Amino acid sequence: MAPTTKLFPVSVVGSWTRPVWLVHALRRRQAGEISSEEFNRIADDAVLAAIKYQEDAGVDIITDGEVRRDNFYSFVVEKLSGMKLMKVSELLDYMKDRAGFEEILRALDVPAFAIKSPIAVEKIHEREGGLTLDELDFLKAHTTRQTKIPIPGPYLLTRSSWFEGLSDKAYPTREELAKDVVRILRKEILALKARGVDFIQLDEPSLSQVVYGDEAEQTFMCAALGSRKDPADELEFAVRLMNETVDGISGVKFGVHICRGNWSRKEDVLLTGNYGPLLPYLMRMNIDQLVLEMATPRAGEIEVFKEYRNEKELGLGVSNPRTDDVEDPRAIVQSVKQVLKYFDPDKITLNPDCGFGTFAERCVNTPEIAYRKLKVIGEAAELLRKEFA
Amino acid sequence: MAEKELNGIRMQKFQGILDSMRDDPKVLQAVTGPWKSRVVWQGGLKAKAYMRKHAVELDEPEGLDATDSAASAHEQLLSAVGSCMTVGFVINATKRGIKIHDMEIALEGNFENILKWAGHSPTGHPGYPSIKAKLFVKADADEATLREVWKAAVEGSPVAQTVARPTQIVTEFEVL
Repeated sequence: MAPTTKLFPVSVVGSWTRPVWLVHALRRRQAGEISSEEFNRIADDAVLAAIKYQEDAGVDIITDGEVRRDNFYSFVVEKLSGMKLMKVSELLDYMKDRAGFEEILRALDVPAFAIKSPIAVEKIHEREGGLTLDELDFLKAHTTRQTKIPIPGPYLLTRSSWFEGLSDKAYPTREELAKDVVRILRKEILALKARGVDFIQLDEPSLSQVVYGDEAEQTFMCAALGSRKDPADELEFAVRLMNETVDGISGVKFGVHICRGNWSRKEDVLLTGNYGPLLPYLMRMNIDQLVLEMATPRAGEIEVFKEYRNEKELGLGVSNPRTDDVEDPRAIVQSVKQVLKYFDPDKITLNPDCGFGTFAERCVNTPEIAYRKLKVIGEAAELLRKEFA
Repeated sequence: MAEKELNGIRMQKFQGILDSMRDDPKVLQAVTGPWKSRVVWQGGLKAKAYMRKHAVELDEPEGLDATDSAASAHEQLLSAVGSCMTVGFVINATKRGIKIHDMEIALEGNFENILKWAGHSPTGHPGYPSIKAKLFVKADADEATLREVWKAAVEGSPVAQTVARPTQIVTEFEVL
């Protein structure tokens, strides 16, 4: 499908909220009580519902809601050999600073059992079928809208999958693991491109932890993260991995999504800080669009973009996925007009700040409110198109 | 045929045990007590507690110039409260046929007047005036049902209720 020429296209960050019956099926699959095939047959209905909600709300570039996934990145454990899905409560036994990490979980209001990480315990290899090809195939078979597939970014996947004491026999350093991560992600991207995906979003929320979060070597930010070094080193590493991942690949739009956390509806446990410290690094990533969280007050000032006018497209977060209040389209229009000081109209896509179900068992909203939030984004987009056409 | 288990408990057998507590005075007496712990000083601020065939070490944090080789008594008290409520939750859920996938309880407390313990204050409460306990649970039941199970676990917990109610510490003393 050709890229849209519509001004202010509406998109999503990726995840949709899960119905209870799907969560039960997910647990049964994880317990080995049903096969992946049986689970996917059940999940198909949830995907169709997610598609319908997005289409009815007027979303132009849609996802499958990531509803087949346990969370936005841990699903890779079923798609890659050499990985083991481990709860953070299990990782506590391998943490260097167990007390410190427990404090982080407490401060962030995260139960240790709820977050699972794919840990590289042997050399990792892709299994047949890729990481998300099934998601794209089903999505394209059931929509005529443009398609977006979010995948974990190379920095997130490396940092969340390498743990000292678990990974170092196969990968003495995380840099060694990163080589395989990049190789696997490149292969996935090329396969998605061949199947006609319109937009590939690489999720890197942990970059905000590097600049805004605590300085512990092992910490948490939407994922249990091991082995942190100096922030500048981490960000350079992230830029290098991203560029190695997308190097030479054209014909598909790339975005990177960075938020400040979406595991809780409590705003005070999520991170705070504007994108200023990250922008110099993000601008060096060879991607087209920054998919950012800007609706929450924790996002800070838009003026940080003034030195980077039109350098990238902006997937502008205009709706907080974690609140029950449905935004006013006129207020969204006003927010967008502030951003238009630094971006031309054809550089802006409108989306929520993050997904509605980043973690399957801790969705941050109901389908009804999520739908209404997307609908008002669509209404705001229409108002903007009339004004700027 | 082996009895089915739910949440790792053979409920039929376990219910039999619970019923025998009601029906057999000897069983009731055995479960009632006395429950015992012998705590032996290990030097410095360390102790070792012997309970039946088990032994647990206790220490104090480095901030007290201790060796921090084990959790402190006041931390293990929180753990005991949480652990007892965990048992109660599991039993009550299992009785109702509810499968539990995961659960954990995060507890915390602040001393009201630790200076009393330190010998700098003649009055006041040196312990926890209150203990927060947050349950995180993933189970096959709706929230209302799980709240009822949690309520039953808290109200029926011997350890939590010992801590929550005024409990006499009856002391004796012998010098050798």
